[in-house]
Amino acid sequence: MNFGYTEEEEKFRERLNAFLDEELTEEIARQNWEDLGVGPEAREFSKKLYEAGFMGLPWPKEYGGQGLSPTYDFILIDELGKRWEAHVPLDVGYTMVGHTILRRGSDEQKQEFIPRIIRGEIEFGLGYTEPNAGSDLAGMMMKAEDKGDYFLINGQKTFNTESHYADYHWLAARTQNDPNTPKHKGITLFIVDQFAPGIDVRPMITMSGERTNEVYYDDVKVPKSRVVGEVNKGFYYMMEAIDSERNHVFVPARLWPMVDEMVSFAKETTYQGRPLAEDPAVRAKIAQMAIELEVAQMLADNARWLELNELPITMEPEITKVMISELEQRMVDDAMQILGLYGQLDENSKYVPIRGRIEWFWRHSFMPTIGAGTSEVGRNVIAQRGLGLPRG
Amino acid sequence: MDFNFTDEQKMLRDSARGFCEKMSPMAFVLDMEEDEKGFTDDLWGGMAELGWTALIIPEEYGGIGLGFLDMIVLLEEMGRVCVPGPFFSTAIVGGLTILNAGNDDQKNELLPRVASGEIKLSLAHTEPGMTRYDPAYITVTAEASGENYVINGTKLFVSDAHVADYFICVARTSGMCSNKEGISLFLVDAKGAGVSVTPLKTLAGDKQFEVVFDQVSVTKDNVLGEIDGGWPVIELIMQYAAVGKCAEMVGGATKVLELALDYCHQRVQFGKPIGVFQAVQHHCANMAIALQGSKFITYKAGWLLDEGLPSTRITASAKAWVSEAYKKFVILGHQIFAGTGFMVEHEMPMYSRRARAAELAFGDANYYRQIVAGEIDL
Repeated sequence: MNFGYTEEEEKFRERLNAFLDEELTEEIARQNWEDLGVGPEAREFSKKLYEAGFMGLPWPKEYGGQGLSPTYDFILIDELGKRWEAHVPLDVGYTMVGHTILRRGSDEQKQEFIPRIIRGEIEFGLGYTEPNAGSDLAGMMMKAEDKGDYFLINGQKTFNTESHYADYHWLAARTQNDPNTPKHKGITLFIVDQFAPGIDVRPMITMSGERTNEVYYDDVKVPKSRVVGEVNKGFYYMMEAIDSERNHVFVPARLWPMVDEMVSFAKETTYQGRPLAEDPAVRAKIAQMAIELEVAQMLADNARWLELNELPITMEPEITKVMISELEQRMVDDAMQILGLYGQLDENSKYVPIRGRIEWFWRHSFMPTIGAGTSEVGRNVIAQRGLGLPRG
Repeated sequence: MDFNFTDEQKMLRDSARGFCEKMSPMAFVLDMEEDEKGFTDDLWGGMAELGWTALIIPEEYGGIGLGFLDMIVLLEEMGRVCVPGPFFSTAIVGGLTILNAGNDDQKNELLPRVASGEIKLSLAHTEPGMTRYDPAYITVTAEASGENYVINGTKLFVSDAHVADYFICVARTSGMCSNKEGISLFLVDAKGAGVSVTPLKTLAGDKQFEVVFDQVSVTKDNVLGEIDGGWPVIELIMQYAAVGKCAEMVGGATKVLELALDYCHQRVQFGKPIGVFQAVQHHCANMAIALQGSKFITYKAGWLLDEGLPSTRITASAKAWVSEAYKKFVILGHQIFAGTGFMVEHEMPMYSRRARAAELAFGDANYYRQIVAGEIDL
């Protein structure tokens, strides 16, 4: 057993941190993290991240990568996350879609998209969820009809979170309606130009102020060259990608800033003439955050290690997902309790502590236990795929 | 990064599993809870023969010289079937204290005898005044008197004191109670004059004792390490002991989950095996989450100790997390086994009572949260 990183990996981390000290700001971090829309600052940062040599290390050389271990991308994600929960700015492409294109896309698609993903130039919006297909995703109804040279697509998606700033829509749609075919065997993946005629993107605003979207398709023509892999295999491609996606998206390091903020707050804030940091109850709450984050980090490290070594994966990334999302809720609840009355203040209030981040985090914390699969579906996966219990 | 055990560790696990299952079936474990001694010479001799008492003692002192991760493999297997006896007290807590604090003469004299299984040790540390776990709360005194020290006071929750050949007594030689300086370690003949041992009846049926030291005289040769310098050794030993307890808990949890999953397939209600019901599946999923997290944080802690890297925060995090995770874990186990698991002869009570004991041993979550708080600069 060995839980350390290699010397080269640690050097990469050092160089990266020196770069981030100079280039990353809280404003840039929030543009992606809060889905406010990746603006010019974050796009600029994205390109700098590539130019400074921090993007694409694990990706194939033929598409502009360096062919190294995926560990480098995990280090990149972790170190960004430790600063204001920052992400790779255009991360749906970089951490999710790009890997499926590599695995299942045509040569032309790889040539067209992968180098631009690595260079931090393009973003994709995920087009999976529909009003009547949430946890039961295979029940999606968006219709894609084969018209010879192209597919004609009609229908509605919802909770498509990047679509107001993405360049492409990563769309799953139904290509097979035969009632005798299982519904998960009739879904195809498409890469659609976000600005194609017939696409209408309408905002939905969450309780934590993030923008997500409804996306309507009205006779949208998508050329056959934009079908990913084989027709009717889309659901399978989505499922084979899910473990790696969880490994890249549920990142314990992103919650460390909350611990650091709470440590500073407890040291700087007094009650009855004594710093909160001397109150054993406050100390215990903040320590528990650090303890659970360490455990979550080990779960994530294990799931990543299985991926890196192409070992069998059943429930491990799902365990990280359930743990980290519920941990966020426990953490933010404890943080709110420590802040007391001040915890309810808006970020623009003159009395607000910690720049309003805890108040925002509390509102946000209802999402991770739902997004990308509810905790309940997650537990079904752990029990059935991981522990071998029967489907009901 | 590498989450694999080595081939040698896998062999150790296999051989340990075979031995533990053969020597320590549940009926034996429950008998030993009632038995005054609490283990058999066959069991102890067998462990010594397999080299377990020698496992982490360096070769120069007659040991095998393996690392703490190897010991974790072994402790997981012992925890799986709740193997009774003074192994933890002797081979881990006692042996490592002598190894880390003792001078050459003491190590040469004692460690080969620990390795061979000839002697048993016990750390006399906690005291009646500790209503909360605070290992710095030491009131037992050792006063210099000519060539000797004279020890007075009462120790509590001393494991396996009835069979120990030597106690390692943590005593105050200067300073005030709760002060971490001024603490020294003494090797005391467990059968010597002035030492009296009285059993405590406990939840897990393990063997814990009150040990009273009444004018117990020991020579200066029996001081382990520097006078007034015992505390840093105790802090280090506490880390090993805490992680060792985590490994036992991981072993127990692994076994309980296996038993629970079997039961989920077998037990039929409403015409279906209960494992098809989501409420039951979610209990199992929660057990898996608790177990996976417990495993890896324990291994990380063990690895840091083996590598000699800074380990205080992670070992404390491990004991804080695993203690509470296992406690919640056995509650879920009881829900799955329901009425049948409430019966005294069922496996569940054997594990849940031990979960509670292991939670308390060498510091509970409340204690370690305060340690972690200090480590994150609070």
